Amino acid sequence: MIGGSVSAVAATPASKLYVVTIENMQFTPQKLTVHVGDRVEWTNKDLVPHTATADAKAFDSHSIAPNASWKFVAHHAGEYSYGCTFHPTMKGTLTVVP
Amino acid sequence: MKTIYSALTGFLLILATGAWAQGSGPTDPQIAAIVVTANQVDIDAGKLAKAKAHSADVKKFAQLMITDHTAVNKSASELVQKLHVTPENNATSESLKKGGEENLAALKKLHGHAFDVAYIDHEVAYHQSVIDALDNTLIPSAQNAELKALMVKVRPAFVSHLEHAKTLQSELNKSAK
Repeated sequence: MIGGSVSAVAATPASKLYVVTIENMQFTPQKLTVHVGDRVEWTNKDLVPHTATADAKAFDSHSIAPNASWKFVAHHAGEYSYGCTFHPTMKGTLTVVP
Repeated sequence: MKTIYSALTGFLLILATGAWAQGSGPTDPQIAAIVVTANQVDIDAGKLAKAKAHSADVKKFAQLMITDHTAVNKSASELVQKLHVTPENNATSESLKKGGEENLAALKKLHGHAFDVAYIDHEVAYHQSVIDALDNTLIPSAQNAELKALMVKVRPAFVSHLEHAKTLQSELNKSAK
């Protein structure tokens, strides 16, 4: 996945899985860049439920229980600001590039 | 109303400053009772506020307090069972309980915007006091490493609640004008 060369053979490069840890009322990493087709998983290591919800609900995990996780496939390129709908102090950014 | 809430804040200061004899903090069973009571008091206030609050944002905050403090108490209860620690009531847990009851009694007399302001003012003071208590008394005094770790893990949630309550407090002040 390193570099920008495009191979005609590898038309659908293997998608990668990225993990965002929710701990201490923070998303880590707070800023993450992935490619279209990659999967992003949010894992809640806090004792309280959280969500990963993009502005305008471009994606929305709904409640993620403690020790649970939620993942989705980044189908659409763009820069998504997201947060936890329960805790307004928690913010993150997911950038999806082609 | 201001005097009532100043009095309650005084109660909370007992918790924050730690009314313990010099050099002898609370024992682990006493800390367990303080943690469980501190959460329960805020759950009870949240239940009242969920039913009585005027603003949708305040209702949402009240539900968050019920959810989060219930989750924390579940973890705390599981830990004390695992450690075979029996929570031991003490002057601080009793004063927290009494303060909680007085807060509920005062809030029950209020309605609408005045209720929201009083509830949120108390939540700001309450969370600040609990954070101070964690930092100054509870975390330093805990002997068991897992009990200490639980409180360290819980602290960021209290900080987030405090910031959330302060934001609501300033919104309520604006909407009153």
